[in-house]
Amino acid sequence: MSKRVMVVDDSRLVRVQLEDVLAGTDYEVAAYCRSGEDAIEQYASVQPDLVTMDIIMQGMDGLDAAKIILQNHPEARIVMVSSLAYDDTFERAKAIGAKGFVDKPFHQEQLLRVFEQALA
Amino acid sequence: MNTAMTREELEKILDQALQDVTERTAGVRLSQGEQPLGKDLCTVHITFDKGFGTSLTLCADTGLLVRMARNSFHEEAVTPEDLEEFSKEYLNVLCGKITGAMFRATQVPAHFGTPVFYHGRYEPEGQEAQFILTYSDEHSEGAQLIHHVPCAQEDAGAPKQTEQEGDLIR
Repeated sequence: MSKRVMVVDDSRLVRVQLEDVLAGTDYEVAAYCRSGEDAIEQYASVQPDLVTMDIIMQGMDGLDAAKIILQNHPEARIVMVSSLAYDDTFERAKAIGAKGFVDKPFHQEQLLRVFEQALA
Repeated sequence: MNTAMTREELEKILDQALQDVTERTAGVRLSQGEQPLGKDLCTVHITFDKGFGTSLTLCADTGLLVRMARNSFHEEAVTPEDLEEFSKEYLNVLCGKITGAMFRATQVPAHFGTPVFYHGRYEPEGQEAQFILTYSDEHSEGAQLIHHVPCAQEDAGAPKQTEQEGDLIR
């Protein structure tokens, strides 16, 4: 059975790329959220196996949204997908409990490897 | 800690990022050349708002950006809104890649603002082009990636802003 992924990203470009990369794999996009607030609201009803979370979005940023989702749903598996793969971002993501980090633009192999590790 | 970067190093980072991001997001291979731009142009501009005090402008033939948007969004018909959305998101991803590479080289975290889209050519006020990278694709349509720095002070003794901000760009 396919693993259900909730994509949280305000970029249409990234959403289309994720759809392309996940086509034909064991993952399916179960829901799209354009903001952190939307993701927090939708998480309980979507109950995804995995969340991909952008960091810089309009409104609440992805790190704060991930933190709240993990407080409410400690079982959540969140992978940060961002171009901010530097500075202390990676450490901050790990500290709040994110299961992985993928930098944009991503490769299919890299993304699937991080997904597998997050679900292990 | 060495926080300085030569112009050649910066050019290399910008060139690699642009070629990589363009191919991976839009399936278009750009190569450096002297292709002159046409008359129907679009520009996206973004400012590095911390650390570097510079900005980046991508000025491209509209036809090239439309093709890139079509490939990226898988849409046959690209509306003006699609074109603007794609151009801004593309520059966002490009700048993420660039600032990541700059951080690895200098240990200085740079953050960038929100991209702004213009029809035609746009020159940021109070800034001048430090260098221009010119590209073309297989359809002979082109793009220019322009690195802008604050204009030099009229007083020759006054330091340039890049020097004031830590001699990031030599």
